[in-house]
Amino acid sequence: MTVKKIKTLKKAVIIAVLIAAPCACIVISLFLGRYPIHYADVFPLIWGKISYGAEMTASIQSSVIWEIRLPRAFLGALVGASLAASGTALQGLFRNPLVSSGMLGVSSGAGFGAALAIIMFKSTAAIYICAFIFGIMAVILSYLVGKIYNSAPAIMLVLGGVIISSIFSAMISFLKFLADPYEDLPSIVFWLMGSLASVQGHDVLAAAIPMLGGIMGLMLIRWRINVLSMGEREAKTLGIHVNMNRAAVIIFTTIATAGAVCISGIIGWVGLVIPHMGRMIAGNDNRILMPVSISLGACFMVIIDNIARNISGGEIPLGILTSLIGGPFFIYLLRRTRGGGW
Amino acid sequence: MTVLEVCDGYFSYGSRRIFSGINLELREGEIIILFGPNGCGKTTLLDCILGIHSLEVGEIRVYGKSMADYRPHELARRMAYVPQIHERTFPYLVREVVLMGRTAYISPFNGPSREDHLLAREAMKDVGIESLQDRLYTQLSGGEVQLVMLARALAQRSPIIIMDEPASHLDFRHEIMLLEKIASLVKERGLSFVIATHSPNHAFYFENNGIPTTMAIMNEEKIFAMGSPRSVLTEETMMKVFRVDSKILSYRTGRKKSGAIIPLATIPDGYDDK
Repeated sequence: MTVKKIKTLKKAVIIAVLIAAPCACIVISLFLGRYPIHYADVFPLIWGKISYGAEMTASIQSSVIWEIRLPRAFLGALVGASLAASGTALQGLFRNPLVSSGMLGVSSGAGFGAALAIIMFKSTAAIYICAFIFGIMAVILSYLVGKIYNSAPAIMLVLGGVIISSIFSAMISFLKFLADPYEDLPSIVFWLMGSLASVQGHDVLAAAIPMLGGIMGLMLIRWRINVLSMGEREAKTLGIHVNMNRAAVIIFTTIATAGAVCISGIIGWVGLVIPHMGRMIAGNDNRILMPVSISLGACFMVIIDNIARNISGGEIPLGILTSLIGGPFFIYLLRRTRGGGW
Repeated sequence: MTVLEVCDGYFSYGSRRIFSGINLELREGEIIILFGPNGCGKTTLLDCILGIHSLEVGEIRVYGKSMADYRPHELARRMAYVPQIHERTFPYLVREVVLMGRTAYISPFNGPSREDHLLAREAMKDVGIESLQDRLYTQLSGGEVQLVMLARALAQRSPIIIMDEPASHLDFRHEIMLLEKIASLVKERGLSFVIATHSPNHAFYFENNGIPTTMAIMNEEKIFAMGSPRSVLTEETMMKVFRVDSKILSYRTGRKKSGAIIPLATIPDGYDDK
């Protein structure tokens, strides 16, 4: 009885910490930014809007917090969580710890979509939608390439992803080559380096839905990801429908990653490094690894974004910072796990 | 009661025939030993029995119901699998791996329940690997992993267990321990086994211990001989199938009649002694 109680308590504490940590990061980021808001004013401004509604508090300060800092931090957290969850799931699915969230071509597909939209439509909404659609299309193409050998084993899917990614990368380069060098080209380059700067208050919900859906889906089937990581033969004899579960993992990761990439641009490393931080902290059982990765990814992304928008006069693209921090960590990880389990 | 039947099984990879005309019948509390030289189609036949491949001609029935009519989780409740080589990717804990044996009983969006944990622990106890449960299974020896795989299969609570060369990584003592374990599972729980092996003495071991054992010797895409180990494992068979000169021992331990085989020498290809 007491052992049971301690276990339930421990579980409750872990869940509380996993939820509280990203929330704390989001709250902290409300205090940070280049527009001068005294730290003592932040909470009254938040309260003001909650208790009196929008009209009473239409000050610039209030809208900086409500329309810029909060949505940006909130979507940043979701982007980090989506990439980390997708990376974790795909690593399990492909039984390969070096796989990342962009493995099946989502990132380069979305990059192509965004570049196309920047050249052709020039509106933010068009960039979101195009990036999202092309990200998903890239995965479908990877899947079809992987299926050319009718059995579609995991390794063919990975190969399909590599091939489709490289095709879309080439097409991105081609669009850059065609783009107007004074207006479109810089936009494309900045988009590809990743940024949350374009996030605005009114589109938070629309942008959040695919990410939330994907993350929730992965949370629901995380036990199945364990089983899939035993390999196709064993997963099947353990009693799961391998193709159906594999498809579910791919669909959820694709929705989550495409949802993330279309608002943030291409952010490397999070989908690769965060799952590994999670593996070090929580072990490899996806029942606990998945929520830990999600929480870590959310915190990491919000922190990185805070650094990106506060460390210098201009915004540093996120892709640069995540790699600068992620790269050395990855080298450390390789050293640490040499001769280890993998 | 017949738990598993292969009727007139035929399989090929494209134009390359792997086996044909395979008939097997496994009854409750019995063991079938699949024996034969490398490349004789044993593993492919196991794959068909496990539902990983499907026969091109013929039918496999599990508890009288055709393989094709089973959903994966239904089949897994009837039949568990102990692989020959388990490729370890992620360093899971031993108990997490054994727990995966419960998958067939867990609904799609759920994780294992308290009862599943209990049954997994019981399975580890049955195999005698309780002390390993909090170790990373990537750090275990090949033989210990084999036992983890057996525990996982037992956690699955299925009446049929399929094993592919279960003793290939085991040392002398662990090999005998595994055979004893299998024998006691057959006797005490009425489980049935299909075991592919390279060691003919495994078949003798089960027969010597009074377990109804059928030996199916596969060679050149067919079942070359099938029956009780003592009737089919002869010096002549070993010569024909393996081109190995051997000696069959027949002896009594107490009142039990026992058998064993000793290999003597290989016969060079093309040499015909008779």
